[in-house]
Amino acid sequence: SSGDRGAAGRAGCPGRCRCEVDGLLHRVDCSDLGLREIPSNLSVFTSYLDLSMNNLTVLSSGALSNLHFLEELRLAGNDLSFIPRGAFTGLYNLKVLMLQNNQLMSVPVEAFSKLHNLQSLRLDANQISSVPIGCFSGLRSLRHLWLDDNSLTEVPAEALSELPALQAMTLALNHISHVPDHAFSKLGRLVVLHLNNNRIVSMGTNCFHGLHSLETLDLNYNSLVEFPTAVRSLSHLKELGFHSNNIQSIPEHAFTGTPSLITIFFYDNPIQSVGRSAFQHLPELRTLSLNGAADLTEFPDLTGTKSLESLTITGARITSLPSSVCEQLPNLQLLDLSYNQIQTLPSFSGCESVQKIDLHHNEIEELEENTFHGLMSLRALDLSWNRLSSVKPNCFSALPALTKLDLSSNQLSSLPLIGLQSLTHLRLAGNTKLMQLLPRENLPRVRVMELPYAFQCCAFVSCERRGGGGGGGGGGGGGASWEREEAAETSVLSSQADQDWEDFLMEFDDEPKLQHSVHCSPAPGPFRPCLHLL
Amino acid sequence: TEGPPSCPKGCERCSEYNGCIKCRPKLFIFLERNDIRQIGVCLASCPMGYFGMRNPEGNNRCTQCKIDNCEACFNRNFCTKCKEGLYSHSGRCYVSCPPGQRTANETMEC
Amino acid sequence: RPALRAVIKVALLNHEPTGKPITLEGVFVGGSAGYAEGKLMQYHPLSLCNTSEDERQENDFITIVKLEHRVPRCLPLLDKARMALDKGAQAVIFDVSDDANAAAELRDTDSLPRPVVLVEAEHAEELMGLVNKNEEAKVRIDILVEPPRWPHYDV
Repeated sequence: SSGDRGAAGRAGCPGRCRCEVDGLLHRVDCSDLGLREIPSNLSVFTSYLDLSMNNLTVLSSGALSNLHFLEELRLAGNDLSFIPRGAFTGLYNLKVLMLQNNQLMSVPVEAFSKLHNLQSLRLDANQISSVPIGCFSGLRSLRHLWLDDNSLTEVPAEALSELPALQAMTLALNHISHVPDHAFSKLGRLVVLHLNNNRIVSMGTNCFHGLHSLETLDLNYNSLVEFPTAVRSLSHLKELGFHSNNIQSIPEHAFTGTPSLITIFFYDNPIQSVGRSAFQHLPELRTLSLNGAADLTEFPDLTGTKSLESLTITGARITSLPSSVCEQLPNLQLLDLSYNQIQTLPSFSGCESVQKIDLHHNEIEELEENTFHGLMSLRALDLSWNRLSSVKPNCFSALPALTKLDLSSNQLSSLPLIGLQSLTHLRLAGNTKLMQLLPRENLPRVRVMELPYAFQCCAFVSCERRGGGGGGGGGGGGGASWEREEAAETSVLSSQADQDWEDFLMEFDDEPKLQHSVHCSPAPGPFRPCLHLL
Repeated sequence: TEGPPSCPKGCERCSEYNGCIKCRPKLFIFLERNDIRQIGVCLASCPMGYFGMRNPEGNNRCTQCKIDNCEACFNRNFCTKCKEGLYSHSGRCYVSCPPGQRTANETMEC
Repeated sequence: RPALRAVIKVALLNHEPTGKPITLEGVFVGGSAGYAEGKLMQYHPLSLCNTSEDERQENDFITIVKLEHRVPRCLPLLDKARMALDKGAQAVIFDVSDDANAAAELRDTDSLPRPVVLVEAEHAEELMGLVNKNEEAKVRIDILVEPPRWPHYDV
């Protein structure tokens, strides 16, 4: 029967190994048994053999030569430092070969030459510093190659040129410092190339020539000083990463040759300047994030980049936004322009999908009626640390989803409350001229408030405690009031007196009670009375 | 050299509640979900549906493949082995090959 | 801003009721004080890192993470909390018994959409004990309201 578990020691299942028989074929797991050599009595019908995490130091020639049905051979985590020419003789059907986490200093010169059906070859986490020319010849079916976490100092261009079917390769975590022109020119079917965590300082302008199918290029964590203009030849590129390098500017037309880009990661670069049209005509781009580009004084021209959902430009010197910002970005969900020098705002009404707007630490002075009008999805609006002194009466009137509003550290003397019914978090601290009382009925759902003065909190943290706390639910024994003794025991919010288990569990299935209490600061107290004494 | 005796196989540092918190060099930590619990275990290669991500600090970890109908992957978006009966093309898995692509049944590729 | 205290009520779902539910306490982080309920679900501290996006549960669970100072911090705690909430958690409980810096690191945060609570000592041990035994439990979190401790004044 299929999936029959063969006991160790039976025919075809070497001692202490764990075996499964699937029809004719055997799956044999001899991992982590402290083996020093390949078990001898393996069934010829072995299709899967796991010898990882043992102490194999040698693979003798022909040791596996009768395993013509073997498709997957795992030798990870052993002590192999050399693999002889005939080690894999006879493995005509081998598709997956795992040699990661051994002691190889070089890719074996001839061991792989007969593995015509091999599709995946793992050589990662060895000490490989040389990839001899011809070592991959014969691997005409190889699709996936792992050479990451080794000691390569250059791209093994000649050896790689013998892998016409290669689709995915990682050379990450090596010591490569330069990528020469035509390094990958024969790899026309390569879709994924990882070069991250090397020491790449420079790249030939034609170094990616020939990579017609490339969709993912990872150059993160290198030492690039210039923008990699070589990417311009990668017309199918969808994901490009060059974050954590030393690049200082993104030139005009940086991405003209890569219209298919969906994501670009370039944070943690000392980028000072950005070509105004650099991010134009990227119709698939979803996210753009730029922090600390101190030389950037103008909002970028994003014509033709209509799919942007998240735009973050912080720490630049942008002073204004184009009135057409929402026409350019109809799908915007998150806008973060904090830490700029913006003085006036356009109307964001056209940004119908926007959920979060961060404009804190700018120089905005007033909010018009139409600034945020009709943003049905807007949940969080942060305008703290600006110079707001005027907010038009209906500014917040049509924001049904708004739950978080932060206007702290501005110069407001009054605040229109129309439309703030769904607020749960309101911050107004730091507006020293704002002394108006905030009627509780205008803020029925608020839970956290930071207000300029304690007396403004009194309406929300009722000084009289009737049966268990202002706004708070449930019991709490007898009516508590100001005059309670100081050493009052702690009353649990919903401390229904020792309620039995079933009630407690039933409560879990009820519609969650809308009992909430409000955390308001500065909290009123004996020296911050509720009655405003001025 | 094995980690402290109480730690699981291949683990250098572990704790009662979290299982392994640091694996031996070159191994991958896999965060195994067992109902409510999630504990760390150390593997030479990651289980089905996960790929191994190495990093310079040695905190190598098994990370989930993000491709539909995929059994093994090279990175988050590139599948190396599709589920039985599906065709692979450019690292993704298809019930039938996209338009304009020829079907190679012997290797189940487009 | 004074940290608000949390009351945590725990009901075991696979056991015959044995009387009163377990009531524990913790401290809310920053402005995240609020109400939440859901099934307890442990996350390994390394599962809340940039590279991790593993499984996404249905969203009626409350995440509990046992922090350990020996585990390299892959992300600031605030980002870990946000990531747990993004994964669908109704709230996050951090056991900080073995991570003295955690509380300080989270003191001044306020932009968390749902409750994040720090627990330690016997409160943490009780919760982690349930996790270790893989006990399915439902948890409810709310603000512990203490009557103001003001001296009695004849005003």
